[in-house]
Amino acid sequence: MSAAATTFMAGRMGLDRKRMRGIGLGAIPFLVLLGAWELNTFMGWLKPVYIPPLRAVVDAVFTLQEGCSALGILGMHESCLFTNHILSSLGRVGLGLVVGVPLGIGLGVLAGMSRRLSNAMEPVGVFANAISGIAWVPLAIVWFGVGWFTTLFILLNTVFWLVFFNTLLGVRSVPRTYEHSVLTLGGNRWHIISQVYIPGALPSIVTGVRMGIGFGWRALIAAEMIGGNTGLGFMIFVSANEYKVEEVFLGVLLIGIIWMVTDRIILVPLEKWTIERWGLVWRPS
Amino acid sequence: MEGNAVMREKLIVEGLSHHYPDEYTGMDIHALDNVNLKVTEGEFAAVVGPSGCGKTTLLNILAGLLPHKVGSVRVDGHEVKGPGPDRGVVFQEHAILPWRTVERNIGHGLEIQGLPAPERKRRVQEFVDLVGLTGFENRYPHELSGGMKQRVALARTLCANPVVMLMDEPFAAVDAQTRITLQEELNRIAIATRKTILFITHNVDEAAFLGDRCFIFTRRPGKLKATVKINLPRESRVWKNAVADPAFTGARDEILSLVREEVRDDDG
Ligand SMILES: Nc1ncnc2c1ncn2[C@@H]1O[C@H](COP(=O)(O)OP(=O)(O)OP(=O)(O)O)[C@@H](O)[C@H]1O
Ligand SMILES: [Mg+2]
Repeated sequence: MSAAATTFMAGRMGLDRKRMRGIGLGAIPFLVLLGAWELNTFMGWLKPVYIPPLRAVVDAVFTLQEGCSALGILGMHESCLFTNHILSSLGRVGLGLVVGVPLGIGLGVLAGMSRRLSNAMEPVGVFANAISGIAWVPLAIVWFGVGWFTTLFILLNTVFWLVFFNTLLGVRSVPRTYEHSVLTLGGNRWHIISQVYIPGALPSIVTGVRMGIGFGWRALIAAEMIGGNTGLGFMIFVSANEYKVEEVFLGVLLIGIIWMVTDRIILVPLEKWTIERWGLVWRPS
Repeated sequence: MEGNAVMREKLIVEGLSHHYPDEYTGMDIHALDNVNLKVTEGEFAAVVGPSGCGKTTLLNILAGLLPHKVGSVRVDGHEVKGPGPDRGVVFQEHAILPWRTVERNIGHGLEIQGLPAPERKRRVQEFVDLVGLTGFENRYPHELSGGMKQRVALARTLCANPVVMLMDEPFAAVDAQTRITLQEELNRIAIATRKTILFITHNVDEAAFLGDRCFIFTRRPGKLKATVKINLPRESRVWKNAVADPAFTGARDEILSLVREEVRDDDG
């Protein structure tokens, strides 16, 4: 028992050390860029109107948040400009996911089960997917005006189709014997959907959600620039018009940081704890 | 066993034929032709026949996974209309769910039946022990060997307590050594559970070793060609002894020559 436990612990520690080393390596390019940035400020190669000092970017946070209290952040008080933009972008992503993911999975499973439905849905899906999210922006503005509806529409349009398609393909790739074995154990259609199709399609679904959030996030930022009146995209756009380059930098950096955090903290662990645990994906040993 | 004078027929197949439509040529594939057979309660029936003769087709029809238009299939007196828990199936491979642990795979049938968790756990443990997987209850299938996966599949079917068990070449995908062990274990399980079993194989030795009777099929369209009775007591079905037992070797040679006729005809 204790020998096994020791081996287990050692294995865990080895894994953690390996992971730490991975993170350390991944941090190097960021540190190099940061160093170059500071060096540029110090040497004065490129003027602050093009590349603002790091210090000015950090200060921009306080300028945008001037007069904002902790409670004001949660209440999205008008003095909390910076956090308001972040929260409205995140809110849209959240809403887009809450609506788009279940809808995509639901219809994807149905289409994966029925040849007829998938024949009906596939061409229009290919068509819709071919038109990038941003291409819809002008039309969406005509339909919904500038604001929440337009940005949400763009996001949904991206998230839904990606989740739908990946779910459809995932369901189709589930071996028929899984379905047959559950049927011969007395399972009904609902058992098949919840215990065979959805878990079997999960690797594909997670890929779809990951792609959906990734592309959706990019499309959203673009949509906010021209079709929004809040959000990080809008903030960048307005700041650029006013030549507040440090705010543009702040916004751009944040877009990247938010995506990295979402992917590393939510999506990657989700993949680990379900799919890898079940041995559904090949993984290098 | 001896006192059981009334032999109940658990599985009755009468006049069963099957055609597959061929979408490309428009010509139907005649897979089964007027098949008649009966399996009695507690009997182990083996089915052998050349590749492509319709064995899997027969099993899928019995399981209710493939609808039949011609003939009748009755299990425990009821006409088969679709899949149901009265007919448990052990598939050749890739049938236990990768996202369920050993324990949850084996208890799947009971879970579907809605048996409360404590009772289910007790029953599952019984079958985990029966197939020799004690200690592996919480493993996922990808952590098991091919032979262990088939044990899980076997236990899952047994645990749901079907009226008949249908097995389609369940040991064909494991290595020779594991297959021998699994065959002996299945015999032990057949003694312990007295299940009615229809076991499909194209391995003649396996059929003679496990079957009380062996149905030999012709090449496609599959018809029942002959029935061979194997008078080897279950208790003496251990490979070490069986190979020297005339009851086994005699039946095996008879089955083999019957199967060979079909294969040879095929070549000519
Ligand atoms: N879904 C299908 N559609 C059309 N033809 C099929 C289908 N399934 C099987 N067949 C054909 O029916 C015949 C019988 O197939 P079946 O799988 O029942 O044979 P089998 O006896 O199980 O063979 P094996 O020993 O190789 O497993 C074969 O000629 C096969 O090509
Ligand atoms: Mg077959």
